[in-house]
Amino acid sequence: MPELEEQLTFLAAAIEWPPTPNLSGRQLHLPARVEVAPEVRGRRRPLWQTRWALAAAAVLVIVATLLAFTPTREAIAGWLNLHVTINRVQNLPTPSPLPSAPLGRRLGLGDPTTLAAAQSHLGWKIQVPASLGAPDEVYLMPPPPSGPSGGEVTLVYSTRPDIPVSGLTGVSLLVTEARGMINENYFQKTLGPDVDIEQVTVGGHTGYWISGHPHNFVFTDADGNPHNDTLRLATNTLLFDDNGTLVRIEGELTKDQAIKIATSIG
Amino acid sequence: MEGRPADDSVLIARAQRGDSAAYEEIVQRYQQVAFRTAYVITGSSPDAEDAAQEGFVKAYRALYRFRLGSDLRPWLLRIVANEARNRVRSSGRRHQLELRLAEGFRPGDAAPSPEAVAVAADERRRLLAMVNALSEGDRLVIASRYFLELSGEETATALGIPEGTVKSRLSRALARLRTRVEEAASA
Repeated sequence: MPELEEQLTFLAAAIEWPPTPNLSGRQLHLPARVEVAPEVRGRRRPLWQTRWALAAAAVLVIVATLLAFTPTREAIAGWLNLHVTINRVQNLPTPSPLPSAPLGRRLGLGDPTTLAAAQSHLGWKIQVPASLGAPDEVYLMPPPPSGPSGGEVTLVYSTRPDIPVSGLTGVSLLVTEARGMINENYFQKTLGPDVDIEQVTVGGHTGYWISGHPHNFVFTDADGNPHNDTLRLATNTLLFDDNGTLVRIEGELTKDQAIKIATSIG
Repeated sequence: MEGRPADDSVLIARAQRGDSAAYEEIVQRYQQVAFRTAYVITGSSPDAEDAAQEGFVKAYRALYRFRLGSDLRPWLLRIVANEARNRVRSSGRRHQLELRLAEGFRPGDAAPSPEAVAVAADERRRLLAMVNALSEGDRLVIASRYFLELSGEETATALGIPEGTVKSRLSRALARLRTRVEEAASA
């Protein structure tokens, strides 16, 4: 009955919208200067954007974050770490059940591809954990605005010995690697009171081990705005910075297993 | 559709070089659809204004990431819609979206009789009341596609759902609305 659709289209012209405010000019309060991407600017990256400065800043922020953590507080907003926003809340909201769809779409991992094809899109080397072997599936996040500017790839391990298939993801392990500008965000995590977060060292790199009850996980755009369709519960997760590449390993595994996998990366 | 992509590219290139006047022109061009999109999501005019304003500032900061040649409107709407959804989420409340008909709306160039105008206005009012009475999800997808006239891609970004879900959700929403229209007609 296309008539209804025609009626709705016709109705659009009769809708009384609230008056649109003037958002330009002084109303907008634009920042003094727009940031220019290195490729646009064509200049050498300033020191604060180098990967070493990034790693150093990450350590500082992680330390500050852990010192600031007070589990008894009702909500601690914005544990802002480089690339990952971690919120601690008293009552963890329950995400809607994930729709039944192919794995990549269900978990918001991007487009299915192969390791070689994904590598051809990235300016950095994908690090495959030697202890896990070749991934069973590979997904590549589309470029901005969907994914980070440096690219993001997820390696899927359907089943692996000693690591049960997670009821939350449907696979044994997810390994996500991402790179971007220093001020970009990739993920957001929301932890309830029964989730533990611990600082760990992975091959000399600082990282987090998040364990206990499942936590909320969502991919974000570079500004930190969550892609709500990817909000889901996540199980134990290791996060660490590998010389500018953020690595995320998720699965029903122990901390020792996760660190062993992480140190086999390279 | 507001503006042409070619004009947008020129303005974006200027804005990317730090020309805030060029960006303000972009804002003027898209502020209406951005504000209305935020209004559909928040159901509140002040919240929609805040979300649109903050969205445009965020877009300005992120402009260096925008790829010239891409379509600007969905990119802007995504940022504004995210801002609107974040506001709804952080405030823990969503105002009921209540769309109204403009008083004295006279469609078309023809000069229908006063009776025909009254009947048409009454039909529009009843149809809009049925849209307002739909569930939030149904109302949002219908308002985005038909009243904001967003494309499928833009509706997907505005509602934060995949484009395929927009199609299926719209199809179901239309089916439910059709049922209500038919029930009203046979009552």
